Amino acid sequence: MANVDLKNLTKKYGDVIAVQNMDLNIPHNEFLVLVGPSGCGKSTTLRMIAGLEEITSGEIYIGDQLVNEKDPKDRNVSMVFQNYALYPHMTVKENLGFSLKIAKVDKKEIEQRVKEAVQILGLDELQKRKPSQLSGGQRQRVAMGRAIVRRPDAFLFDEPLSNLDAKLRTQMRTEIKKLHQKLQTTIIYVTHDQVEAMTLADRIIIMKDGYIEQIGSPIEVFNNPINVFVATFIGSPPMNILEAEIIKRDGKIYFELDQDVLMPCPESKASLLSQKNKVIIGIRSEDISPSNSNTSDEFWYFEKNIDLAEPLGTETQLFIKLKNKEIISRMYNPREIEIGEQINFAVNLNKIHIFDNETKKIIK
Amino acid sequence: MKQIKKIGFWFLVLFILLLVCLPGIWIFVSAFRPNPEILSKPANWIPDRWTIFEFTQMFSIKGYVSVPAFKYLMNSIIISFFSTIIAITIGMMGGYAFARFNFKGKNKIFLGLMLARAVPGISLSLPLFILFAKLGIINTSIGVIIVYVAMNVPFTIWLTDGFFRQIPKEMSEVARTDGCTRFQAFWNIELPLAGPGIGAAAIFAFLLSWNEYALASVLTRTIESKTLPIGMMDYLDEFTINWAGMCAIAVVMIVPAIIITFMVQKHLVSGLTFGGVKG
Repeated sequence: MANVDLKNLTKKYGDVIAVQNMDLNIPHNEFLVLVGPSGCGKSTTLRMIAGLEEITSGEIYIGDQLVNEKDPKDRNVSMVFQNYALYPHMTVKENLGFSLKIAKVDKKEIEQRVKEAVQILGLDELQKRKPSQLSGGQRQRVAMGRAIVRRPDAFLFDEPLSNLDAKLRTQMRTEIKKLHQKLQTTIIYVTHDQVEAMTLADRIIIMKDGYIEQIGSPIEVFNNPINVFVATFIGSPPMNILEAEIIKRDGKIYFELDQDVLMPCPESKASLLSQKNKVIIGIRSEDISPSNSNTSDEFWYFEKNIDLAEPLGTETQLFIKLKNKEIISRMYNPREIEIGEQINFAVNLNKIHIFDNETKKIIK
Repeated sequence: MKQIKKIGFWFLVLFILLLVCLPGIWIFVSAFRPNPEILSKPANWIPDRWTIFEFTQMFSIKGYVSVPAFKYLMNSIIISFFSTIIAITIGMMGGYAFARFNFKGKNKIFLGLMLARAVPGISLSLPLFILFAKLGIINTSIGVIIVYVAMNVPFTIWLTDGFFRQIPKEMSEVARTDGCTRFQAFWNIELPLAGPGIGAAAIFAFLLSWNEYALASVLTRTIESKTLPIGMMDYLDEFTINWAGMCAIAVVMIVPAIIITFMVQKHLVSGLTFGGVKG
């Protein structure tokens, strides 16, 4: 039961920077997800909190205690690894009780706490089995159970679901979320899967090259990405990104998305762009959709031929090209689509994102 | 046709097997018959008269004493046992260090250890003899143990390094977040998992110490430290060779080695293949 604070945390491997000047305050009971492409430093951060990786500089506090010099065993955090790392020579029960045995906890107490974990995770019938006799999902559960019995101050998950198949992953995701509600503990969770990040997190941290790009609630980072990287990383399919020239005509500002394809700039943003010649436009696929009408002021309409259609049942993803770049649009009331068919699209102008073409940061 | 091929194949197997086992069989047979019969021509494969005379002699049952085999056996056991234990303890720790830690000159040190194995042992006999004589540990069990430990450690490191490498690093990491010290994680988790490899390394070390002749022949002089292979030479006189006695003492030497090897044979095979795939 504790908060975790990182102050100016830096990790270097020789000259290579893995994590740079990270400041982070994780309050008690928060479900925090670190997400980013591989090599962004998210796992390194987690391992530094666990004490498995030495810190180059900075400070780590767990429950207001400076733990920089403490061994992993004295930090009272539990870690769940991607490959589960169950002890192969012990039964499930022994695996669960191992940490308590090492801590010389009374046998009755061990029995009691293992029983609790077994019940929480539904491992009743598997207690006498060895890890090699378990399925992937069961192993994952045992790994979580092993973390639970210690009653740690914080749980650290390092891509715990990446080794599971898609269906099981969804199921375990829900279980982890339920577990968090039941245990009321701080959880720091590392993943490269943005769907996992969105569904689980109270707060998401998006990392890249050792830096924090953005911190915020899932909805916040989805709706208001602060730069192109976050915009394309969060959301599936990724946000459509287009470079556009700024064209002024009749006192109005337009974005040239393709030859003779001019999208008007929303009036609220116009004043920000007076000095600009070029910007990057981001439009989520759900904000470009086929439309029958073309009258609303909030929308901008254009016609385009379909390159490819991918029906998904609830929606169909339509692929079109602007300036030789593939753009994905979502059609929410799917019908049969023919390749090459010309369709009228509507873009929700209030939902477009405008980024600086040099700094790649949002303009607002 | 198929049948003939099969029979032919098995005859070939039998022939090769006989070829391989022949010296062993000859030793066993000869250990239980008197010397003249061994030297008879043409060779007599099945003894006319079985006897355990040489065994009773060397183990001084009924008061006969030819060669102090019991003392040699004890020397062999003590030297092999302790040199194995020490070599395994050091080698295992070394293997763990090479598998888990990064330190300066790691690859060079590893290469150096492997090169040390390439040096023919006999070429060290004279320097060792002089050194040990000056140190006053010539003709002692301790001296021989030191040499055998030095011979066994590089191989043990190489073999156990491969085994520790195959245990995922996360195993010890999770143990450490589970409340173990680094040593506890090693002792409770990694050591049991590397058990087969360490067992195999122990057998190799034991057999090498048990069979070694060249260095022991230089470093041991008397009944105080001579091992069985050296003791065998006691049957060599100026004008005669007691073949029966030699074969008998060879049997004393071979039997424990065979028993131990059979006991851990499973580990041996997995040890050789498992450790072998290390990158």
